[in-house]
Amino acid sequence: MKKLTLTVLFFLIALINSNKSYSDDYSDAMKKAAKKLDAVQDISDRAALLKIRGDFERILQLKKNEWLINYYMAYCDLMIAWSYMGEKPDSENIKKYNESCIDLLNRSTDLKDDFAEAYILKMSANSNRWQYEPNKMNDIIAKGTEATDIAKKLEPENPRYFLVDATITYYTPENFGGGVDKAMPLFEKSWESFKTYEPKDETYPNWGKDQAAGMIALCYVKKDKLDEAKNWIDKGLESAPESGFLKGYVMKQYDEAKKK
Amino acid sequence: MMEKIIFLTLFALLISPFVQQGGTQGFAQDVKIYGKVTGEDNKPLNGANVVIEGTIDGATADSIGYYEFETSKTGQQSLLFTYIEYNDRRKTVVIEQGRNIEMNVQLRKAEVETEEILVTASSYTSGQQSQVTITPLEIVRIPGSDGDLYRAITTFPGSNQVDEGSRITVRGGDENEVLTILDQASLHHPFIFDDDFNTSSYTTINPWGLKGINFSSGGFSAKYGNVLSAVLDLKSYEMPQGTGAFLWLGLANVGLSGVFLSNDKKFGATVDIGQTILDPYFRLNGYLIDSYNPIPLARGVGGTISFKPNDKSNLKAIFDYSEDRIGIRNTSPSYDGYFNSKASTIFSNLKYSTGIGSKTYLSAGLSFSNHKDNISYGILNNDVKKLYGKLRLDLTHQLSKKIDLNFGSEYEYNEDKFAGRVPLYNYNLRLDAPNIDINSNSHTGRIGTYVETQLKPFKTFFAIAGLRADYHTLSKKTAIDPRLSLGWKFAENNILRGAVGLYHQFPRLEYYAQSMDFNLKPEQAIHYILGYEFNKSEGLFLFRVEAYYKDYKNLVIKDANSFIYSTGGKGQAKGIDVFIKSRITNKYSTWISYAYTDSKRRQYDAQSEVSANYDITHNLTFVGSYNITDNITTGLTYRISTGKPYTPVSGSNYDTAHNVYEPIYSETKSGRFPTYQRMDINFQYFFSLFGRFAIVVFQINNLLNQKNLYDYTYNFDYSLRKEIVTTNKRQFYLGFGLQL
Repeated sequence: MKKLTLTVLFFLIALINSNKSYSDDYSDAMKKAAKKLDAVQDISDRAALLKIRGDFERILQLKKNEWLINYYMAYCDLMIAWSYMGEKPDSENIKKYNESCIDLLNRSTDLKDDFAEAYILKMSANSNRWQYEPNKMNDIIAKGTEATDIAKKLEPENPRYFLVDATITYYTPENFGGGVDKAMPLFEKSWESFKTYEPKDETYPNWGKDQAAGMIALCYVKKDKLDEAKNWIDKGLESAPESGFLKGYVMKQYDEAKKK
Repeated sequence: MMEKIIFLTLFALLISPFVQQGGTQGFAQDVKIYGKVTGEDNKPLNGANVVIEGTIDGATADSIGYYEFETSKTGQQSLLFTYIEYNDRRKTVVIEQGRNIEMNVQLRKAEVETEEILVTASSYTSGQQSQVTITPLEIVRIPGSDGDLYRAITTFPGSNQVDEGSRITVRGGDENEVLTILDQASLHHPFIFDDDFNTSSYTTINPWGLKGINFSSGGFSAKYGNVLSAVLDLKSYEMPQGTGAFLWLGLANVGLSGVFLSNDKKFGATVDIGQTILDPYFRLNGYLIDSYNPIPLARGVGGTISFKPNDKSNLKAIFDYSEDRIGIRNTSPSYDGYFNSKASTIFSNLKYSTGIGSKTYLSAGLSFSNHKDNISYGILNNDVKKLYGKLRLDLTHQLSKKIDLNFGSEYEYNEDKFAGRVPLYNYNLRLDAPNIDINSNSHTGRIGTYVETQLKPFKTFFAIAGLRADYHTLSKKTAIDPRLSLGWKFAENNILRGAVGLYHQFPRLEYYAQSMDFNLKPEQAIHYILGYEFNKSEGLFLFRVEAYYKDYKNLVIKDANSFIYSTGGKGQAKGIDVFIKSRITNKYSTWISYAYTDSKRRQYDAQSEVSANYDITHNLTFVGSYNITDNITTGLTYRISTGKPYTPVSGSNYDTAHNVYEPIYSETKSGRFPTYQRMDINFQYFFSLFGRFAIVVFQINNLLNQKNLYDYTYNFDYSLRKEIVTTNKRQFYLGFGLQL
């Protein structure tokens, strides 16, 4: 019996080892990096984002033409670009990372043209261009519409599609068809569809639930309904207790509104 | 117990190789690789990536550019360093047990794509090209430009405004030396109140329908034929951008426009209707209503239809009709009465474009325009009809990544009809003055063809070499134009440009009609241009300086004693243009343009080389716009320029037979009007009305009420000179637009 146990153990360990001898295994590395990205709760933590971006970039050594790696690098770049927005926007760095994001997304969609998440990011990255090249108005509108159309066609119920669409609407002036009132139902739609959404596997994107709750809270802050806002912040923290977006950004806006 | 120990030892032994990351020597120590990644100026590259190729062993550099990682790989390995916007770099290392490796690496910034170089000298562009000097929104917002494309262009160096109207002149030459092209069609009369006495003309082109605007005051491509000085090339959207309607209610004009785009984006249409209502505007701005009969009236209707039969092709039809009439009181030495004018213009264009394969693009256009004008003043009373038809074909082929080939051909037909009564002596306009009746009809054709190649031998160098030929069927003369344009980006943000070429324009048909045997040669100019541009962050800061020299030959001259025109004039223009544009913050942007011009010609009435008609020595324009809030914007334009040359009258002779004084002229163009000055301001307020986008515009043109001259006139015997001040005195305008 003992012998048998040991043999099995030997066999098992040998098996693990043989797998691990290619420790540069693609899906393992992807899972690790995706988990690390998930763990970044504060999306303005630039140093952490740069590190994870590097992790993904190194995985390219294993699969040179992998659409998903390009997607994740693009996602990191997009968040790094956001981290430069803030009160004193650094338009040079916003442009640098946002353009890199767009390049990577284009590569991703060239390699796999039916991955809705890439088009959803494209919508977002494209709208960032207003920050540094508003003179290319026509191109921004044209590319934005194209990405939106494809994303909607591929996954009309994707919660991140609603989230990005809503965020763009939120920051568009009322005169140009945007504003809080139009954005809010979209954020709520996003929140609803997050409830039932399941990513395909561990390496698929799974971000945004806390942002949906946080943005709904911000809408309420703007409407001066602070109790409702607090309610949504709590809802968001329930699903992502360490969310830097909720704790660092939304809470701050809420507290400031409360002081007034 | 013992079993447990054996088990644990065994487990530790077994597991160790995988803790060691599967290295070649199971129990070996990992090697540390570390160092710094910097850019050209030793600036740390935060976020640079390093990896041993073929593995995921590596690290990301931190904020001081430092990286470190451990690896169990040994032997010769390649380290790959990467960073956004920088060139990749590889370093070979030999990894040995127990020896850490320090590897410091400097990366070089990647060169920007060639497309970023704009080669053509003397050009100012707007639209979707990578390098725009001005956006359509900026054009509409320029104070004093009244949303008029042509007036906006005159805030750039190289162009002057003509008599406060919309027409532009370049390097001293006439407005007829500037060619306007819309989607391959030549626009000959895109104006209302054109050529009318002391009246501002306006263009009928709607800037919002344009996706590209390119103005070039010299050294332009061989694509453009039969034009001596400058080209304004406009490209309209192939498809409308959406569906909607817009209503405009202004103090002087009302308009309604609509756009439609079908759901499958294969069919689109637009329509534009507008009319002037000048009575209240004139009253508010203190015009003497009695000076007008009738009060100026202009109206127009236009539209487009677009169809996309497949992904690669596009069919678009444009139609535009406009008409205007005006009566304006003028007291001249020999006649006191109303200058009356009635004009109408029809323009239409049909354009088809298609991609053939992935590297060839073909577009064909068929255009037609008919302009009618009746003017009368005293004895002068005539009807002019100008008819133009044009067929044009352009082909672009990408031969390789470094070579583009353009080829094209056009045929243009032009017919002029002139019927009416003209005074025998231009100083006697009385109703009983001696006169002649003229009834003439002439026509000509022109066949043009060009071939052009765009070469990009290096990433930072660009050359366009072209050759065109034009044949004029009436004079049976041919013009051959070789042209060359070069661009070199010698350092980041720094571009050097140059152009040299031969340019020809056949004189207007009316001059042929008044020549011997239609024997006029095409007017000729050689352009030499050298320019430098510093352009940081796509227009964040733009500085341009350009020197030019133009040599003219075969200009049309008029015989001093008859109506006869002949070839034989010449001249030259030289000068420097400076343009500075800056978007200081997102809220404030400004540009300043300055032009120095010295333009001398023997042309038309001149007997020797004298100042050209629009030889404006110094011309300075400042434009600034400021966003007070997201919803309120304001702007200011200030111009100051040397007065226009004119020919003074030094005395008169009494003509006893007709009881009229004949002026004695001083040397042609020897006098100058006083310095021209004007300041314009505007405010725009965007808001939401009934949930729709709405805008209110308030503007004051000529805020300081500067007295700018339109012309001098004289009393009956020329002993007293009187000033005719331009109609652009201080003017208030208020407009309201609503998206429907």
